Amino acid sequence: MSAPLLSVTGAVKRFGGVQALRGVDFDLKAGEIHALLGENGAGKSTLMNLLSGVHTPDEGEIRIDGKPVTFSNPREAQAAGIATIFQELDLVPSLDVAANLFLGRELMRPGGLLDVPAMRREASKRLQAIELAIDPARLVADLSIGQRQVVAIVKALSYASRVLIMDEPTAALTVGEVERLFDIMRKLAATGVGIVYISHRLEEVPDIADRVTVMRDGRVAGITEPHAPQAELVRLLVGRPLDELYPGRAKSAGKTLLRLKDASFKLARESAGWQPPSGISLEVRQGEIVGLAGIMGAGRTELLSALYGTGLAGRWQGEVAVDGRPVKLESINAARKAGIAFVTDDRRGSGLMLRMAVGLNLVMSVIRRISPAGLMSARRQAEAVRQSFGQFDIRPKNPDIAVGALSGGNQQKVVLAKEILGNPRLLLLDEPTRGVDVGAKGEIYARLRALAAQGLGILVASSEMPELIGLCDRIVVLRQGRNVAEFNGGVDEHTVLAAANGREA
Amino acid sequence: MSDQKIERTANPAMPSPTAAPAAAQKHRVDPLAIIVRFQSLIGLVLVAIGGVIFSPRRHGEILFLNPDNIANIVRAVSETGIIAIGMTFVIITAGIDLSVGAVLGLSAVVTATMMISGGFGLIPTILAVLAMGVVFGIVQGTISTRFRLEPFIVTLAGLQAARGLALIVSGNQYINISYGDGPGLAPPVFAVLGERLFGNTVPVATIVFIIFAAIATLVLNTTRFGRYVYAVGGNERAARISGVPVSMVKISVYAITGFASALAGIVHAGQFNFGSANDGMGYELTAIAAVVIGGTSLFGGAGSMVGTVAGTIMLGALANILQLNNITPATQLLATAAIIVLAAVLQSLVRRREGLGR
Repeated sequence: MSAPLLSVTGAVKRFGGVQALRGVDFDLKAGEIHALLGENGAGKSTLMNLLSGVHTPDEGEIRIDGKPVTFSNPREAQAAGIATIFQELDLVPSLDVAANLFLGRELMRPGGLLDVPAMRREASKRLQAIELAIDPARLVADLSIGQRQVVAIVKALSYASRVLIMDEPTAALTVGEVERLFDIMRKLAATGVGIVYISHRLEEVPDIADRVTVMRDGRVAGITEPHAPQAELVRLLVGRPLDELYPGRAKSAGKTLLRLKDASFKLARESAGWQPPSGISLEVRQGEIVGLAGIMGAGRTELLSALYGTGLAGRWQGEVAVDGRPVKLESINAARKAGIAFVTDDRRGSGLMLRMAVGLNLVMSVIRRISPAGLMSARRQAEAVRQSFGQFDIRPKNPDIAVGALSGGNQQKVVLAKEILGNPRLLLLDEPTRGVDVGAKGEIYARLRALAAQGLGILVASSEMPELIGLCDRIVVLRQGRNVAEFNGGVDEHTVLAAANGREA
Repeated sequence: MSDQKIERTANPAMPSPTAAPAAAQKHRVDPLAIIVRFQSLIGLVLVAIGGVIFSPRRHGEILFLNPDNIANIVRAVSETGIIAIGMTFVIITAGIDLSVGAVLGLSAVVTATMMISGGFGLIPTILAVLAMGVVFGIVQGTISTRFRLEPFIVTLAGLQAARGLALIVSGNQYINISYGDGPGLAPPVFAVLGERLFGNTVPVATIVFIIFAAIATLVLNTTRFGRYVYAVGGNERAARISGVPVSMVKISVYAITGFASALAGIVHAGQFNFGSANDGMGYELTAIAAVVIGGTSLFGGAGSMVGTVAGTIMLGALANILQLNNITPATQLLATAAIIVLAAVLQSLVRRREGLGR
């Protein structure tokens, strides 16, 4: 058997006192899609950085076609044929697709002027090579995240074409976009490109990977074939069997907290790409976790933000009642007065004050309560912080460090804990576990279920179907801002997907 | 607590192995972060030591430490200091107020005009001028929040407007303040702003500065409003979602800078016994420099009042040493420039160390 396309043996990497990699072996064959799984801190990013030349290993060896190589910077890795697509796509939104593809290597006319037509022609050719019909003259800002992802792939492959490393490429994609991306990856693999695919999403692995390497604590915890049962993957990931990622379901639901009957949100001004609720009927009862499913643009996020008054300006029509009383819900204040709390899908952008301490973030929604007569009470603040740390296992257990320094999972716990402190009766969650590792996910699910058991009503929108199916008591499917189907938790995924796409199951 | 019990039963031994190694790492205190936290105090101490070393001496006496010299330093910085205190609120919300120097000029002119030409008494004049400053700030804040304009642009316009108003009120003349009883004269007690108390040691202007600083420190650190100010600068969208009245907070901080500028304008008129439309020219930049050297981030969400006070005095002390040594104002400007850059670089290094981006 010939040498693998890319191999790593005995890789060790230390950062100060922290040993990020403790002797890792990894290999990639030509034409293979190799999934690399691991929780935050398991070492997969470090391994990726070694392969892409961002860091050099302290010990161990990287070989390409069996020949040892060393990269002292990303350029050398690219020259050796390794292209990396990081999570934050390095595209310039205000430039068009062609300009992005040729950024730094622009085609010139004699005399130093840009040869725009030639760049557009060439860009078109490359995009069509993977059967993507994007006009190269379009601004990247106008593309969907999925399309941007593909532009980033084409750009990366134009630098280097043997190995493609993709860091969580599906994190921000919709179900349909993920399928298109997988098609493209398969086509590339068929031409002999080796792909390292890093992901949090276990459920995608069987669909796309030829082989799976699971990392834990800076080591390879196991190499397995992609159709290994999820329980096996989870066991490798977290180091012990995880009986149930999802907690049980509600034993009984109480009285109705939120009731929408033929409710529509009339926008003050129409806005393209913002699908307002139009004719929605649904209920959330005490003790219940209700899921909102739907394809991208079905209006899940829009429903939650319209209920909380954070979306576009407008007003509700039809029946909107909280606790049996009709409410208007036209502002954040009105929603909060009605006992509604909201956790955004964008914790870094609109959930947290990243540079401020964990403790200060936690009390943000209860400042009024901890400042009697307008004066901050250190005692009440400490009590509130203690309460949050008691409810959520936020690590490190130190309220004084900047919340931006925490892992994604712990940041998400802070956002949740912050809203729980306000004692809401109805909690609106948008993508509650985006970018959160499996361990923290399980913890968040368990916590949500415990809160529901105490009488909280929870309405959760998610693009992760297994999450909705595993967590929720009921799932309401939205399409074009309207509820089109409803299922009990535990329903099979294809049924929900069919309803979301408007097909018969 | 019962909450925790429920969590344990609902959540049997949920592992969270990821955070453990991070915990050990994050508890270490970064010495650089400590330096930045107290950078202006450290800077002040360094400047003071430098002042002692490089001070000219007369008959063995270190001139820098002469009580009169120190009184001069703290008097000279009191007007920009008052403004810098107001500016700290604005900058913590990630805003900026360029109108402060112009509002100082307008206030000085109005103070002089009301007492001399208007025949108003001392108290009505002071109250009216302070109210004018507050209203000026409220208008700027309201325009900025209502029309979602950058405070930079709105207060740049405010600067022009205040200078224009000051020119109109003063007729482009110095309004001299004469003291005495009767119409056209200011009450003699107003002149106290240019004097010193406690056995001719502590300048009254400095006392105003210190009292204002103390009140501002309490407001920023111990009140709900103060917390809101940090929240708005920390992440405006997150603050809004958490129920913070963001627009009210923003309008209020510009009202505070308006008040501070008016107060500084009154002090200015009292110290110099006149009002002129050109008073306070460039003070906005000195005040911003003091705030930034004091460790307050222009990105918002972080900063302290103590830092601003130390930064203000440090700039004054530095200017004083250079003057004592007959060093030109040009060199003074270059030294200030170097200190601003140093303060900013230190802050940027800490941000990068904390992994919080640029």
